[in-house]
Amino acid sequence: MISIDRRIIFLLIALATSLPLLHPFGLPIKVSPEVRAVYEYIENLPEGSVFFLSLDFDPSSKPELEPQAMALLRHAFRKNLRVIGMTHWLTGTGLADDIFSKVAKEMAKESGKDYVFLGWSPGTGSLVISMGQDLYKAFPSDHSKKPIEGMPVLAGVRNLRDVTYLISLAAGNPGIEMWYVFGKDKYRFEMAGGSTGVMAPGLYPFLRSGQINGLIGGLQGAAEYETLIGQKGTAVAGMDAQSADHFVIIALVLLCNLFYFVLRGEKGRPGFNA
Amino acid sequence: MIVLKRQLPLAITFIMGVTFALQYYIPHPVSEEAITHLSKWMQIISGFALALGLASLFQVHAVKIKRQVAGWGYSVILYVAMLVTITVGLFWGQGQTKVDGAQTAFGWIYDYTMVPLQATMFSILAFFIASAAYRAFRARSREAAVLLVAAVIVMMGRVPLGQFLVPWSWDVAQWLLNVINSAVRRAILIGVSMGIVALSVKIILGYERSYLGGGKDQ
Amino acid sequence: MIQLLLLLLLTPGAALAAPFSLSPPEQFRALDTPNDAGKSISLVWKPSPGENKDWKVQVWMAESGAGGAIGEFKKVMEFPSNTRYLKPGDFPWWAQPAAKGDHYVKVPFSAAFPLEDGKPYAAKLVIREGDQEVASPVSEAIPEPNWFNLAQANNLMFVVAFTGVLLASIRAARRNPHVYLRRIAGLDAVEEAIGRSTEMGRPILYLTGAGDMGELPTIAATVILGEVAKRVAHYDTTLKVPHRDPIVMAVCQEVVKEAYVEAGRPDAYREDSNFFITSDQFSYTAAVDGIMLREKPAANFFMGSYFAESLLLTETGASTGAIQIAGTDSDHQLPFFVTTCDYTLIGEELYAASAYLSREPVLVGTLRGQDVGKALIMAALVLGTTLATLGVLVQTDAVNYVLDLFKDFK
Repeated sequence: MISIDRRIIFLLIALATSLPLLHPFGLPIKVSPEVRAVYEYIENLPEGSVFFLSLDFDPSSKPELEPQAMALLRHAFRKNLRVIGMTHWLTGTGLADDIFSKVAKEMAKESGKDYVFLGWSPGTGSLVISMGQDLYKAFPSDHSKKPIEGMPVLAGVRNLRDVTYLISLAAGNPGIEMWYVFGKDKYRFEMAGGSTGVMAPGLYPFLRSGQINGLIGGLQGAAEYETLIGQKGTAVAGMDAQSADHFVIIALVLLCNLFYFVLRGEKGRPGFNA
Repeated sequence: MIVLKRQLPLAITFIMGVTFALQYYIPHPVSEEAITHLSKWMQIISGFALALGLASLFQVHAVKIKRQVAGWGYSVILYVAMLVTITVGLFWGQGQTKVDGAQTAFGWIYDYTMVPLQATMFSILAFFIASAAYRAFRARSREAAVLLVAAVIVMMGRVPLGQFLVPWSWDVAQWLLNVINSAVRRAILIGVSMGIVALSVKIILGYERSYLGGGKDQ
Repeated sequence: MIQLLLLLLLTPGAALAAPFSLSPPEQFRALDTPNDAGKSISLVWKPSPGENKDWKVQVWMAESGAGGAIGEFKKVMEFPSNTRYLKPGDFPWWAQPAAKGDHYVKVPFSAAFPLEDGKPYAAKLVIREGDQEVASPVSEAIPEPNWFNLAQANNLMFVVAFTGVLLASIRAARRNPHVYLRRIAGLDAVEEAIGRSTEMGRPILYLTGAGDMGELPTIAATVILGEVAKRVAHYDTTLKVPHRDPIVMAVCQEVVKEAYVEAGRPDAYREDSNFFITSDQFSYTAAVDGIMLREKPAANFFMGSYFAESLLLTETGASTGAIQIAGTDSDHQLPFFVTTCDYTLIGEELYAASAYLSREPVLVGTLRGQDVGKALIMAALVLGTTLATLGVLVQTDAVNYVLDLFKDFK
């Protein structure tokens, strides 16, 4: 029994994931201080502040980071902030563009006037430095090839020093650390991060030292943010499935340990043939 | 020839490395302009690296097809997929997934192949985590038992069901993440960062030459 | 008598209750902002008694011409008088433009009042309360860009010191390469893994990770590959090294070839042992998983930096029953390696392994230098924590003379 067929485990996980999605049980979401810090910072920004959102992920991290992106954009648009978007991940450009278009349409915001999606450009750290010196030289046009010079959303914005708040939603490298080293450290804007659940624990040192002022970790973080803005979406819906999955894994681990100790006890008994 | 292959790159590395290490401490606009120019060069080089990667991919799989090594059929599929995506991207949509809100053919390839394939590969992790946890989370020793207990508490504390059934699990999970986890990550981060600084110093000073190609430094 | 007593009692009280009257800012001066890129002027003045949020400080600036002629003053800033103090932590003690507790305001370049380097400007403060106002004397300064940020001198000092320690360690290791390096458990298993593969007649799979040749984990992985290849050459086992980066592949080809030559088995070397798959993360993972399931290697080595693909690789390898040895500094993937692999080299153990196996003086010396650096950091942590705690208990700022040395100032 200790060596259970992996396919049984896979089946249990599949059931634990799919059943709550079909029949959600809807439990309250507790908000952590690190997510609340991001929410409150945006909530206290004056109208017209420049909010930079870097969607540094590709489709593989879509389930965790897309809900974060959408919740942040909804909040930013509700606060009438001027939103600048981009991505450092080439394969995530289409996805990032989709996210901006979808939320902008929902919130009746116009490209060029309320937000601009710059798209992707090569260089990662060098690109950030370039943007820090002159945004218009780094990105002469936005993702749909319209020149960004003169856009109302970028009025008074010459470079990253004019950005009020930046959030990088990252699935790896380039991501939050790169933005801190080449961006915040040099150009002094305030910064927060959003990441996949796997990466989040590794970003706590940056949070504790104040290098980022908030952290949205994984689907749980996205669900917390959706709860704060009062608009539940895919993240909150997914938390039921995640709850069930976690409990299946806990049950399997406890079961495995039970078999392990029982077997160990029986091995110790005289006359036991393993 | 040896000068071009060895001495010249080493000299460039040394000069540029020292210059831009010192640039960090120089606030003068001359220094800022220098870093701006350098970042432009690096952006251009990054663009070329993409082309290099593509050329390398074409060449490797062309050899496989020519020699008809085991699995060469997959190389043909790769070729066809690459050429179709490049052609569609160039001629139907100019590299855009959406034009005026309407999905392009390139966007169709991205939305219906790239996105599901990448998401599928990543989602396999959920199943593998469960089977790995079942196999590995056994309290064989004291340390393994501590790992097991911490893992169970954090798994409970990070989901609404766990927070509902065992309210203190959230507080303990937060403490574990903010205190214990932060301390350990800091220690690993400091060690790794020192390694990176040491490597950078060795590369600038020419002690480390493996990036030039060839096995050991000479 | 009673009236006299009352008068005596009330007078100090009355004096205490009376508000402070506006007074001109004391010791006001303008200066070029230190340690900056220019086009900025700083203003310093002593705090006044009775400062409060109702007193508004206005900063007025004018261009200063030849012969001391001052142009028209323009208001550039306004803020409450009980703000903009120089606090501990704003500047290091060796680069402080004013005393702690003084007022300090930086007037940057703005569209409203553009400052040019090399041109003199006049500044004055006006403090207002309702209809009343007092002004400071005019002070002049010339903004200039600086060639060195003195506030970061401690940072530069540590970089130079660490470089010195590193070079000294490498030199010492070149003189005596037999520096003590503690035994690493995963390395003992390398022989066992190779032996197992030979007995079972199955290949060894070696992965160098997701990084390129400029990354330390990849360099460490290639060095370890060389040592593994030497042992593999002795046993005549098949070695398979799939790659994500063409340059890493080129380097590893040389490394493996050299290893076979050093082992005295150049004839056993196979050109196709190193092969390129793709640079895409999950395409590479799918290909390697396919290799593991079809060819069922008896030993898998995962050395280098990894991301989300780590569990997909190691769990597939575990399902084939292979012995697995991993080494990575990607701390976010460590939990997956630890649970699925038989041995895991954590963080710097990977760098130590490459030094341990090869005994190359540069690698050994670097490791020693890093250890010295870490010892110094630990000492600084203990000292800093003790001093910071003492400073709070004894209520003194004197500890900042030491603590500032370890802070990062911009």
